[in-house]
Amino acid sequence: MDKTINDVKTSFHSDLKSCKTADDLEQVRIKYLGRKGKLTELFNQFASLSNKEKPKYGKTLNILKSDLNSSYNDKLNSLGIGISEAKDSKDFSLPGYALPKGNIHPLEHVTDEIKSIFKSIGFSVAYGPEIDDDYHNFEALNVPKHHPARDMQDTFFIDPNTVLRTHTSNVQIHLMENQDPPLRHICCGRVFRNEAVSYKSFCLFHQVEGLVINESSSFAEMKGTLEYFAKEMFGKDTKMRFRPSYFPFTEPSAEVDIWNEKLNQWMEILGCGMVNPNVLENVGYDSERYQGFAFGMGIERIAMIKYGIRDIRLFYQNDKRFLEQF
Amino acid sequence: MKVSIPWLKRFVNFNHSASDLADILTMLGFESEVVTDFSSLKNIVVGEVESAKKHPNADKLKFCIVNDGEKLHEVICGAPNVASGQKIVFAKVGAVLPGDFKIGKAKIRGIESNGMICSERELGISEEHDGIMVLDSSLENGTNIADIFGPIYDAIDIDITPDKAFALSHRGIAREIAAKLNKKLKNPLNSKRVIPDAKKKVKVVLDKKGGCPRYIAGIVRGVKVGPSPQWLLDYLKSAGQKSINNLVDISNFMLLEIGQPTHIFDLDKLSKEAIEVKWAKKGEKFEALDDETYTLDSDHLVITDSVNTVALAGIIGGKDSAVSEKTTNVLIESAYFDPIVIRKGSKKLNLLSEASRRFERGADPAAANDAFYMIVRLMQEIAGGELSSIVTDECTFDLTPRKIVLSNKKLSQYAGFNISANKVENILSGLHIDCKSRGEGLISMDIADILSDTNKLQSMRIRTEFRPFMRNIVDHLYQIDKITRKDASSYRHRIRFGSKETLVELANTLKKQHSQDLPSEFIVKSTGKKNTNNRDTQKWVCTIPSFRGDLVNESDLIEEVLRCYGYDNIDASYSFSSQMQYVEDEERPISKLKQYLSSVGFQQCYNNSLQEKSQIKHFGVKPVSVMNPSSDKMNALRTSLHQGLLNTLDFNYKNGAQNVLIYEQGTVFKNNGKKLEDIEQKNAFSCLVHGDFTAPNVHFNPIEGNFFLLKGLAEGIFNNLLKIKIKFIRESHPYCDTFYHIIDSKKSVVGSVGIINKELLDKMDISYKTDVCIMDIDTYRFKECSGYNIKAEDIILYPMVNRDLNFILDHDIELAEVCTAMKNVNQALLKEVIPVDIFESKELKNKKSVLFKLSFQDPKKTLEDNQVNSIITEIISLISKKFDAKLRDQ
Repeated sequence: MDKTINDVKTSFHSDLKSCKTADDLEQVRIKYLGRKGKLTELFNQFASLSNKEKPKYGKTLNILKSDLNSSYNDKLNSLGIGISEAKDSKDFSLPGYALPKGNIHPLEHVTDEIKSIFKSIGFSVAYGPEIDDDYHNFEALNVPKHHPARDMQDTFFIDPNTVLRTHTSNVQIHLMENQDPPLRHICCGRVFRNEAVSYKSFCLFHQVEGLVINESSSFAEMKGTLEYFAKEMFGKDTKMRFRPSYFPFTEPSAEVDIWNEKLNQWMEILGCGMVNPNVLENVGYDSERYQGFAFGMGIERIAMIKYGIRDIRLFYQNDKRFLEQF
Repeated sequence: MKVSIPWLKRFVNFNHSASDLADILTMLGFESEVVTDFSSLKNIVVGEVESAKKHPNADKLKFCIVNDGEKLHEVICGAPNVASGQKIVFAKVGAVLPGDFKIGKAKIRGIESNGMICSERELGISEEHDGIMVLDSSLENGTNIADIFGPIYDAIDIDITPDKAFALSHRGIAREIAAKLNKKLKNPLNSKRVIPDAKKKVKVVLDKKGGCPRYIAGIVRGVKVGPSPQWLLDYLKSAGQKSINNLVDISNFMLLEIGQPTHIFDLDKLSKEAIEVKWAKKGEKFEALDDETYTLDSDHLVITDSVNTVALAGIIGGKDSAVSEKTTNVLIESAYFDPIVIRKGSKKLNLLSEASRRFERGADPAAANDAFYMIVRLMQEIAGGELSSIVTDECTFDLTPRKIVLSNKKLSQYAGFNISANKVENILSGLHIDCKSRGEGLISMDIADILSDTNKLQSMRIRTEFRPFMRNIVDHLYQIDKITRKDASSYRHRIRFGSKETLVELANTLKKQHSQDLPSEFIVKSTGKKNTNNRDTQKWVCTIPSFRGDLVNESDLIEEVLRCYGYDNIDASYSFSSQMQYVEDEERPISKLKQYLSSVGFQQCYNNSLQEKSQIKHFGVKPVSVMNPSSDKMNALRTSLHQGLLNTLDFNYKNGAQNVLIYEQGTVFKNNGKKLEDIEQKNAFSCLVHGDFTAPNVHFNPIEGNFFLLKGLAEGIFNNLLKIKIKFIRESHPYCDTFYHIIDSKKSVVGSVGIINKELLDKMDISYKTDVCIMDIDTYRFKECSGYNIKAEDIILYPMVNRDLNFILDHDIELAEVCTAMKNVNQALLKEVIPVDIFESKELKNKKSVLFKLSFQDPKKTLEDNQVNSIITEIISLISKKFDAKLRDQ
């Protein structure tokens, strides 16, 4: 058997070498690779071998088969026959298969990007309820009832004591209630505001908020963290400024603007501040020992800056022609 | 708040332009924008109307000749008050008015107009637009308007956050500017006491239940009501306040000058010369200055003349007691009202006023007195009245200034860097906060000794000794787990805010419960009197001025220091203070799912959570309603993502996109009862397909986006992403005629696929042309199942043997059942059975011919033909019997 295989191999290669025309080659193909060719003959012999011998020769035969085929194809190509045949049958200028185009929503893109920036510097991600009680959405965050700061967030009520959360800060309260410092988390999700629907405001939007609590995190560290974020998000030459502001849950508080070269103006991207000691006391942390910072941003706002979107309603209309662009 | 720059200059000298000033204030925490900056307006000058004739082609227009000092211009003007001889504001061709309004040559009814005569509104001074501005006739033609109006009308608009009540006046803003620029704050008005020549006194009675901690009242007789002097008119106009008459203007001026709201009653319209502050009767009607009648509630605070209600305290005055042109004698009110009372009252009536805005944020209780005498003095000067009663000052408010200790250590810990003590002291004194530096020493305290002796406890100084001592005890007990976190927190709260008695009581409680848990001695920090330069122990005792009611804690002072130091001057720190932790994100697996779907051609949607209740009810789950919806279209929360996806289909279909492959993840809500705990808030994930999966193209025919697409996807998702085997079990569903649960090997439901029935589509008025199919995935199960559960298996090296079997079966037989039956014949060797072709024809009648492909493989050896043949024979006989099938071509 070994000899037969070797003979077939040697004679095939010498025959192939002497081929000059397509006809010559076709003769070789019929002789060796055809339906009644030598290769088939070898496989027929193989079938009658004992089970003990089969594995050994099976392998050898398979190698021979692929060797013969590829050598034949190489010769076919070198004679220029294969290519000219293909040219006759295929138009390679036709468009590729029309496969369906899927998209991730632009808000998801931005959320993912923000999440991954903060995850890269050790922040975990937390989630929480969209309907919550007044305590977790307001009071624990140092916004008592009948405080003018309530006017800053127009609220949808489910009942007088239950609200559609106006920010994801309620998650921070739940987090702190269940966990001792140190904390290094971002919270993200959907929030609601009872505002008139227009090109610049909708009844809901999405937020990412961050919270860092330990014994020494400072305003300077907050600045560093948020500068890192802004540069990762908007490019390393991003010009930004921190200006004093007011949020009941942080003190000192700041708003952060980045410079928009095209519009020649500052654009607000987030709010931040050192966590108000009252908030820490409300969740049972010792405010003499622990301190930290928090920040929050609207995802829609950042997406609008990033993609140059002028109407916030486009995000929730789910027009294919809009979604297809992301 | 519109703030007049000339008005600010009453208090502090500066030469900055309006836009520079806006920048300075913005960086101090007062977001500002320029309203009018005359220095930026060019080509606008004083002109003289030399003649004004009727426009030949229009009745209401005039054809004017304007002299700008250099030459004459022909101008068309539509103002009714334009007349020859007037000095007017003339915008030449090329001028740009506020709002980027460019002046060019224009043909108006056939005549060319070269420039414009301006009204106040066109210049951004006020809303006045009934006619053009007529200027003082002594002005010279051609004078630049910036030189005349800049010093009177330049203004900025400031967005003042709710915590900064102290900045709701020109003096308040000027104080900030003075502090920033290191300038002195001037005192332009005299607030010295006026001694009346009278013995009578207005009787003032305050309600004992609070609401009004301070009320100052006095009577001025002999006033003459008339127009205000020019300087007063200019100030009010530049701050956007309309002039009414001299008396009302004085009161409004005071509000904008120092932020203190006051009220002036016509004395002769009061029933008695007396004031009673009390709570309104429920349902009481009150006619206010704004001509509206309000129905009051029992928690509205009102001012009465002991007979009638004459004002709604701190919000608005009454119509009947208001000052009129005939007024000669007045009663002046200058009071301080409780912020919460005013806020509740104004919210309830939805009635906001300049006064209520200041009171609800916390006015300055000490300013009530200043304002009163400033008003008396202004009335003397402008309206000619004399104070003719002894001034009543009912005050229950404790006016002793608050003291807060600021420690340098805490400040630098918060800031993350060190600020020099000099700088801190400069900033605080610039804000009129008096600060005295103090050092600190360490003392040791024998705990058992102190706790055993109530006298010793009593003798400790509360702030510097007692509180640190108690705090140490609580911290210690918490650290050794003798008290819970919750207890520690409540103890700390009591220590922080409690009186000496509370602290003694707490000390005794802790001693009783924990005497053996406490160490013998504590080293406690105690404030000494000596000055020290040690940053760590340096403290300032700060005396807070009465107008800074917002400063209560140490952190409030830290904010003031950093704000004035300038956030931009703080160097960012790029080192982390946190310890390393495992980064958790439970949504990680779901984002893989989204990537998968989007990569096969699905688009992700974000739909509104707020939907229309009447539509939600089609989905058969009781929704959670919103109490105060902004519209009927958004009055409840979605119970299913299907609703939003169906509406998205409808929207896109109507916009020409028939092939819709979409999915969404989001929260859905279910109302199980009245309480918050009864509201189910569940994360959901749904897909919807309609139309074709692939569009028709030159290579192949379109592939339908149907039930089987979703079924295949489900298999792809669960088999590929999670490595779990799933099965489909038919179930009934309220709005799907065809509906299958997807279950895992433990028989728990991980999702579902179905076809939405036509009834629902029609009820919701959705446009569609093919089946609308949906798939849900249980995200909770999905997250549970994802993880490191891939276990690599050895590759089987022995060949796979394929055989085809062609059966003729009854049309109604479900092939999944046939395949399972075949596989059960020999599960070890028969790896796979799949139907590869189904043929139906007329001749076959109610039968179908199905070609099955069977794949055999033995993991341990090469399969022998006879082994396969015997299994095949078994299968043929079983299937023929069980399903009444016939093998084809036999």
